[in-house]
Amino acid sequence: MLTKRQNLLETIRGGNPDRFVNQYEAFGLIIGDPVSANAGPMPAPGGEPVVNGWGVTISWPAHVPGPFPVHDEKHKVLKDITQWEKIVKAPSLEAPEEAWADVKARAAQIDRNEQFLTVFGAPGIFEQLHYLMGIDDTLINFYEEPEAMHELIEYITEYKLGYAKILCEQLKPDCLFHHDDWGSNINSFLSPDMFAEFLMPAYKKLYGFYREQGVELIVHHSDSYAANLVPHMIEMGIDIWQGVTTTNNTPELIKKYGGQISFMGDIDSATVDRADWTPELVAREVERACRSCGKLYFIPNTSQGLPMSTFPGVYEAVSKEIDRMSKEMF
Amino acid sequence: MSKLQEIKANVEAGKTKVVPGLVQEALDEGLGAKDILAAMVEAMGVVGDKFSAGEIFVPEMLIAGKAMQKGVEVLEPVLAGDSSSIIGKCIIGTVAGDLHDIGKNLVALMIGSAGFEMIDLGVDVPAEKFVETIKANPDVNVVALSALLSTTMPSMRDTVKAIRDSGLTGFKIIVGGAPITQEFADEIGADAYARDAGGAAIKVKELVS
Repeated sequence: MLTKRQNLLETIRGGNPDRFVNQYEAFGLIIGDPVSANAGPMPAPGGEPVVNGWGVTISWPAHVPGPFPVHDEKHKVLKDITQWEKIVKAPSLEAPEEAWADVKARAAQIDRNEQFLTVFGAPGIFEQLHYLMGIDDTLINFYEEPEAMHELIEYITEYKLGYAKILCEQLKPDCLFHHDDWGSNINSFLSPDMFAEFLMPAYKKLYGFYREQGVELIVHHSDSYAANLVPHMIEMGIDIWQGVTTTNNTPELIKKYGGQISFMGDIDSATVDRADWTPELVAREVERACRSCGKLYFIPNTSQGLPMSTFPGVYEAVSKEIDRMSKEMF
Repeated sequence: MSKLQEIKANVEAGKTKVVPGLVQEALDEGLGAKDILAAMVEAMGVVGDKFSAGEIFVPEMLIAGKAMQKGVEVLEPVLAGDSSSIIGKCIIGTVAGDLHDIGKNLVALMIGSAGFEMIDLGVDVPAEKFVETIKANPDVNVVALSALLSTTMPSMRDTVKAIRDSGLTGFKIIVGGAPITQEFADEIGADAYARDAGGAAIKVKELVS
């Protein structure tokens, strides 16, 4: 029997996996370190909103899957993109060496034969723009203030590169799991051309840097439609697109791009992770995903960007059904 | 190309700096403000259709809306006091517990561009706030509710129920958002459902016709 790590590599390289990769099982996720703490804190679900290290107010209402920035006039950090240099201050990348002891101890617990030591990054570059300016201003500024947007994207990218350097020095990760939502349920936010102009160079630099530091796998989360961006994902060096929703027609993507990139998801959280979920619903969705997407270049998973579910029991029920499908299909 | 066609083309292309000048030129040439407005409304209809078809993306839609807004600002002094070009009033908001605004904003933009006076209550709006606003605006024609998360669908259900239970009438309720379906809209007692912003503008016009 292959280890979880070997099985994942066989799956994404078109080899001979002996079962489905079961959701996040192959990733030993390390979340939280002294530098990312400078960009925190994060609000507790249902708790009071907090102001993070970029000055962004973040709220996490009860019973919703994740936190979200607050963008009323009072809370928006950057109201005029042309003033970004005066307003936007990235959090410090400094942290005393001894502060790394805990996270290094956690990393040492991960058996790298079994799992990829995986570091985590969120929000992504596009999301950081959104956090600072609100979504409408962000999207309009791509047209109205392209130079300032390029500058701000470069500033955020440089911050992320600085963070990447420290993370790689401290933890020597095997895998990066990076979040940046690039679309709605039915389309990408930006046209592929605009995406290529603004975000692609930044991501080529960022993901290329991780690769140069010996990171073997780049996993990108976007739980949205982004099928039209897959060629760009391949070019920027993404190995696995996590969060692919059914609106992307995942089986078609696998046919078209399998071997260049792999797809993790196709079980929409919006469909299965709900208050009225049932084991039957989960079984049906998992079976549909596994049978339609097949054994290679595909990892069955909910579109949720972490190994968890909003409603208790859903993540575990999905895992159980994936195990069942492995027995039936392998 | 006629001046109206030129205005229409430039709104569609999102030329925010060009449209106000063209609108002024059109007025100076003696064209009617309502005809100019109609051309811009038509342009936004085309934008909505292209968005629904996946031919254009959110920035293109937002910039076209902004171009129209700039044109309307030039028309406002001429149209002042003349409400005949307003075809209805719409209250819109994202339901309680949901902070997502992009879908709601796009729908507000498209319904507003179709000739509705908009009252935007923002995000995370409690059901009581919708009811209060309807009470304060007895001439409202449409109430539009948005939810992006499957976890806030119950909140949408509660909002529709609260509005119905208030006994207030004379308006229609339209719902939409990523997890919302026609089936769910029917189940919770909404009058209409739209899949996207372009479709919402078309649907809302049908509701008041």
